[in-house]
Amino acid sequence: MQTLDNAKSPPAAIKPLDQSVVARLKRIPTAYFAFWVIAAICLVALLSWMGFSLCPYSFDQTSTDFLAGPSSQHLMGTDELGRDLLSRIVYGARLSIAIGLTTAAVAFVIGTLYGAISGYFGGKIDTLLMRGVDIAYSLPDLLVMILIGVLLGRGTLGILIALGLVSWMGTARLVRAQFLQLKNEEFIEAARAQGQSGLNIVFKHLLPNAIGPIIVALTFTVPSAILSESTLSFIGLGLSPPACSWGTLASDGWRSLRAHPHLIFFPSLFIFMTVLSFNFLGDGLRDALDPRTRLGKTVK
Amino acid sequence: MIALILKRVLLAIPVLLVVASLTFVLVRIVPGGPFDADKNLPPEIIANLNAKYHLDKPVPEQYFLYLGRLAQGDLGVSYKYVNRTVNDILSDAFPVSLQLGTISLTLAVMIGVPLGAIAAVCRGRREDVIAMFLSTLGISVPGFVIGATLIFVFAIELRVLPVGLWESPWHVVLPAVTLAFSPAAYLARLTRASVLEIVEKDWVRTARSKGLSQWSTVTKHILRNSLIPVVTVLGPLTAIVITGSFVVEYIYAIPGMGRFFITAVMNRDYDLILGTTLVFAVLLIVANTFVDVAYQILDPRMRLED
Repeated sequence: MQTLDNAKSPPAAIKPLDQSVVARLKRIPTAYFAFWVIAAICLVALLSWMGFSLCPYSFDQTSTDFLAGPSSQHLMGTDELGRDLLSRIVYGARLSIAIGLTTAAVAFVIGTLYGAISGYFGGKIDTLLMRGVDIAYSLPDLLVMILIGVLLGRGTLGILIALGLVSWMGTARLVRAQFLQLKNEEFIEAARAQGQSGLNIVFKHLLPNAIGPIIVALTFTVPSAILSESTLSFIGLGLSPPACSWGTLASDGWRSLRAHPHLIFFPSLFIFMTVLSFNFLGDGLRDALDPRTRLGKTVK
Repeated sequence: MIALILKRVLLAIPVLLVVASLTFVLVRIVPGGPFDADKNLPPEIIANLNAKYHLDKPVPEQYFLYLGRLAQGDLGVSYKYVNRTVNDILSDAFPVSLQLGTISLTLAVMIGVPLGAIAAVCRGRREDVIAMFLSTLGISVPGFVIGATLIFVFAIELRVLPVGLWESPWHVVLPAVTLAFSPAAYLARLTRASVLEIVEKDWVRTARSKGLSQWSTVTKHILRNSLIPVVTVLGPLTAIVITGSFVVEYIYAIPGMGRFFITAVMNRDYDLILGTTLVFAVLLIVANTFVDVAYQILDPRMRLED
């Protein structure tokens, strides 16, 4: 029994890191900073969703101060109905962040299940399932999203389903590749020899060992979903008013680019900051999870 | 090689059939029809219009009618652009999008590949940090923000470049640059990763130890080999450019396929939606086939396996 227990430990290539991932992440300044930026934006979105008023104005409160530029009263100016832009951006954060995170969650569940089935069984099932992914991949994301989004109506739910449907393929491919690679390792063989069930092997042995790259991939799914939503809203096929996300705000601002550039500048800035932070965090996580990266030393 | 291309062409037919069928079903389920926007039309006229375009027939019959016409290369008629066939519209719009896409892709390769190579060769140094910061920036900015910024600076403030339409070569500059941004950033990241992998190979050490200069080692031994994965992303890159073209053609009012697709979706212009979707699918299949062929030419090991 002793030897079998030893055999269960992960193979050398994915040996547990000598430091925790968080400790390693701290040594990548851009990623660590990005982590706190994301935490702050998520906190603001959460507090706003819970009903705390974080701004002096409500998001739909109109005033006679139409299209004012940034001032001490309205830090980011006002729109054509005199609504405070900062308050609208804070309000819009909920939808933008929620869409990003939900899409990643959907991609995780569908992608992992699909990829796990494909990679675990292999053979004909694998070929068939992967052919399906190939076909799904053979269309541009935005095109599929537009078609599905229009079909389901331009509400939040429609956008979420559309985004979820185009976001899981990458995760599925990744999970499948990881499983194919891992399932021939000795510790899986040992688990089989112990007579463990297939489900047990998938969820207790294969998935935990494949989780690193999956998390990295999901970290990149969030920003791409936020970008896709804003792009859809921008070309007028996304959320429709009164729903308010960073994408719809930027889209409104686009129409008055010439006269009032602040209306597109600030929402875009927030989209950009959030997406950039997630991308830096993803890069950092990938390096932190990779035992080959030597942190803190100059690599020649 | 020819066998491979033939195999790909044969495989493309079922894929296109699936794409056509799915899109057909999708557009018919979508609430609203092509003549809804014209609110003042009396019901008799709408009935006549529906009869003229066979839209009064049951959906399965419409589907087989469509497939029959498709087999003859007829993509149908537009319901909005009166008296224009989809083939007619697409043969005008496709060259515009192709031009824009090719110019942008070329631009992206010319910027992205050197940027990534420089970053990898100078790994960990200032050049690397700057190049990677720029490329992360590039994948983080939405296309419409780049477009808005460029328009604001070059067309509104400086007034040096025209915006909108597709007339002189000057009209190409801003859209092409906007569209090139994210593929360039994507390529830079990919090239860097690929070069870093190659740098550690034994034969690179051999090249260095036999006294080759840094320049020769990089250009002859490292870059050439690390370009293989770069060529293989041409497929995904084409998809990125197509996605980008929706936004860019919308912003700059370019009469390309992306713009026609968006207006067709808004107008429920069934045949035009299907036609553009199919052309996009064909484009991606062609790009992927090209990648497979290029792969075989670039990497002799692939030929032996086949």
